Amino acid sequence: MDSDAFAGFYQRSAPALRSYLERVSGNAALADDLTQESYLRFLCATCPEGGEVNYRRYLFRIATNLLRDHWRRPKPACIEDIPEQLLAARDGLSRIDSQSVLDPALARMRPRERQLLWLAHAEGYSHREISEITGLSTAGIRLLLFRARRKIARLLRQRTGADRGRA
Amino acid sequence: MTFRSCGCENELARALKDGHWPEGCGPELRAHVDTCGSCSDLVLVTHTFQQARSESEQTAPGGPPSLLWWRAQLRRRNAAAERVSRPVTIAELFALSVYGCVGVVFVASEYRHSLRWASWWSQLAPSRAFHFLPVGAGQLDWNLLLLISSCGALALLSGLVVYLASEKS
Repeated sequence: MDSDAFAGFYQRSAPALRSYLERVSGNAALADDLTQESYLRFLCATCPEGGEVNYRRYLFRIATNLLRDHWRRPKPACIEDIPEQLLAARDGLSRIDSQSVLDPALARMRPRERQLLWLAHAEGYSHREISEITGLSTAGIRLLLFRARRKIARLLRQRTGADRGRA
Repeated sequence: MTFRSCGCENELARALKDGHWPEGCGPELRAHVDTCGSCSDLVLVTHTFQQARSESEQTAPGGPPSLLWWRAQLRRRNAAAERVSRPVTIAELFALSVYGCVGVVFVASEYRHSLRWASWWSQLAPSRAFHFLPVGAGQLDWNLLLLISSCGALALLSGLVVYLASEKS
């Protein structure tokens, strides 16, 4: 892949990868760091055959492994270490709905569940593709995803019910 | 929790993925979703996540791709340089271990003569060293020559090892 081809691929895939990392980790700064690291590792590795679909899947696999590595070595965070813009209100009214409904529900899910839900329902990956990305078995993914979907649907309904009640 | 997958789930998932839900779906499927808990969960969750994804995509990730490209090139070059210098590192480690072994063997072999050296040293002070008398080759102990040359070699090698270690760090 040359520089121009990479620039095009980056423009098309980076927002989706960053969204995945941000929603699964719940940390925008970490998502930025891991997005960059994912692309660096992608460029340093031997790219898989099969075009952009496979590149994208491979990229998500790198990002998933980086997330796993990050969770394996938890570091204590201090409030002074958090960039100021993260504490300020985020811009864009369109984000309010998903932030107020989805983010609290996601916060109550386990990282693995968040990962599977995002890959299946936001990225639209099949069980086989998720299996390639996460390294889990297809049967395990089917079961975990079923449980996670049921759990988050209940949380989303509770949340929207609470919002309506408040209104 | 029991795992019961609905028969309409695949069809519904495809419709949701392609954006055909609900307008592009038949009334039977829509009626089914109203009554099936699993399918209504699927619709709710997929809609919410798709909305969240489209909102998140408006946030552009930081850093131009050209910068990432050059950083990756630099990392590749560094990795290649490290690969090239790996045999040198292995050779250094091997030399260090051989040096250590030689030192240990030398100390062990010379330990037996230590008592003789001690007695020789006690005789040396009054007899020769303090009277500045030339020492004949025939009179000199070969063990002493070996000891002095080995100490010199050890000192030289120590300096080399310290230099290589400091250069590496």
